[in-house]
Amino acid sequence: MAILETKNLTKAFGALAAVNDVNLSIAAGGLHSIIGPNGAGKTTLFNLLTGQFAPSAGRIVFDGRDITGTPASRVAHLGLARSFQRTNVFPAFSLLDNVWIAAFARGKSWRGLAWRPSDRYAETSAQARAALADVGLAEKADQPARAISHGEQRQLELAIALAGAPRVLLLDEPAAGLSPEETRKMVALVRALKGRYTIVLIEHKMDVIMSVSDRISVMHFGALIAEGTPAEIQRDPEVRHAYLGGLAAA
Amino acid sequence: MRHPIVLVLAAVAVLPFVVRPVLATEIWIFAIFGLGLNLLLGYTGLLSFGQSTFFGSAAYVAGWLLKHYAINAFFALAIGVAVGAASAALVGYLCVQRSGLYFIMLTFALNQLFYFVAYQWTSVTGGEDGMPGIPRPAFLGIDFTDPLNYYAFIALLFLASLWVMKRIVESPLGKILQAIRENEVRAEAVGYSVPRFKLLAFVIGGAFSGLAGVLYAMLFGIVPLEAISFVFSGNVVFATLIGGSGSLYGPIIGSIVFIWLSESVSVIWARWPLLLGVAFVIVVLFFRGGVVEAWSRFWSWQSSRQRT
Repeated sequence: MAILETKNLTKAFGALAAVNDVNLSIAAGGLHSIIGPNGAGKTTLFNLLTGQFAPSAGRIVFDGRDITGTPASRVAHLGLARSFQRTNVFPAFSLLDNVWIAAFARGKSWRGLAWRPSDRYAETSAQARAALADVGLAEKADQPARAISHGEQRQLELAIALAGAPRVLLLDEPAAGLSPEETRKMVALVRALKGRYTIVLIEHKMDVIMSVSDRISVMHFGALIAEGTPAEIQRDPEVRHAYLGGLAAA
Repeated sequence: MRHPIVLVLAAVAVLPFVVRPVLATEIWIFAIFGLGLNLLLGYTGLLSFGQSTFFGSAAYVAGWLLKHYAINAFFALAIGVAVGAASAALVGYLCVQRSGLYFIMLTFALNQLFYFVAYQWTSVTGGEDGMPGIPRPAFLGIDFTDPLNYYAFIALLFLASLWVMKRIVESPLGKILQAIRENEVRAEAVGYSVPRFKLLAFVIGGAFSGLAGVLYAMLFGIVPLEAISFVFSGNVVFATLIGGSGSLYGPIIGSIVFIWLSESVSVIWARWPLLLGVAFVIVVLFFRGGVVEAWSRFWSWQSSRQRT
């Protein structure tokens, strides 16, 4: 069962079609990776799916509901959460506040929005702490986000997405800029999340992709050129030509 | 500073005996104005150069009703708050569509628009001469023409405003506005409609400005044209930055410094804005958090000196 689908999705910036006629179908409960060379349009695709940009043409269907053109803040409420390729947190906030704000957004009610002290939302705070614990940052809850390491900021990035109790998690290069050791930790983390959420993953590190994905879609110049299981993708001649060239020859 | 509220209460008690009661009253009115601005400037990260739009509009409307219809003080305050909020909703709606420099210029331009309406509409506003003859009606049998009575009334309203603002900034709304200041894109991505929350901050700030506007009109018995001019908008930004926009109490300190300087030093030295300019340069260069930051740095320096 597809939980997230795109139909002929296109986004043009002037003459450049950053995303070109993409038909994608994400099965519920799986881990679906999107790979492609730099500039293939992967992040633009995420920006379309989460409502940061409105598409030039085509449709996006989430859980049977057309969400094309829905603004980002509303998409988040439907249960589609994302992490960003470039760390995108609230630097002056404590780690706990970083996730608290995401947990509150998706909370059942905003009663007392402008009046009740924010430390008196026990359920929201518990959710926020759980999200921090999920990524292994529980002990640093009171530190400001700007004071932690890059690797930890990547984990926080993920925790913010988790705190909103999403149904689909879009992860944009969660291991970007991480050391091999930190990458191993991040892969373990993504693996642990697999099954709990439907995950769509953009990643450049091939070993990561091949080991965690259920399905892989390959983007090239804005278009989808192949889709299949990791084994099928590794065998696909067109993919090898466009993207894995160097790797396959080695 | 563990309990800044104790200092505020002490200042409220002492001030009318240190400076003229009228000046003391003006300080707390300006502080209410500053509290409203700081929700935008300090918490949401929006530099509004048009706060006198709401201050002045409220002063004119409530002043006019006080003058011609002899409405009671309570009703005048309610009108002021409502006009402040409504004008802020209108201006804010247009301004939040843009960000950065364009946002600032829009708040300024719309301020000018309101200013020229007030300037031209002489039959109502008195134009350059201002709108004189605004009464200070008695309330609950208390005679507000007595300066100390009026001072006490304003001081109470100021404390109430401070309490309300404290509740707001410590609520989830306060956190959301700060999240928008920190990172708009992420705030939107986790599920907050940034323009709507900015507008809400505008409306709340406008309500505070409106309250300050009516109290100002009642204090001086006149709405000068200046009350809706960009100079007034600039003054409140100035005062808030000098006090420290990063803190709830910054605008209060800023108001004391600004109003006290402008009233007492200007008598001795006509070029006093020069002094403000110097203060402003010092703040921008060395104490981005204003007096509040200078104060806390001084105390941490003191305590580190004592330890060694």
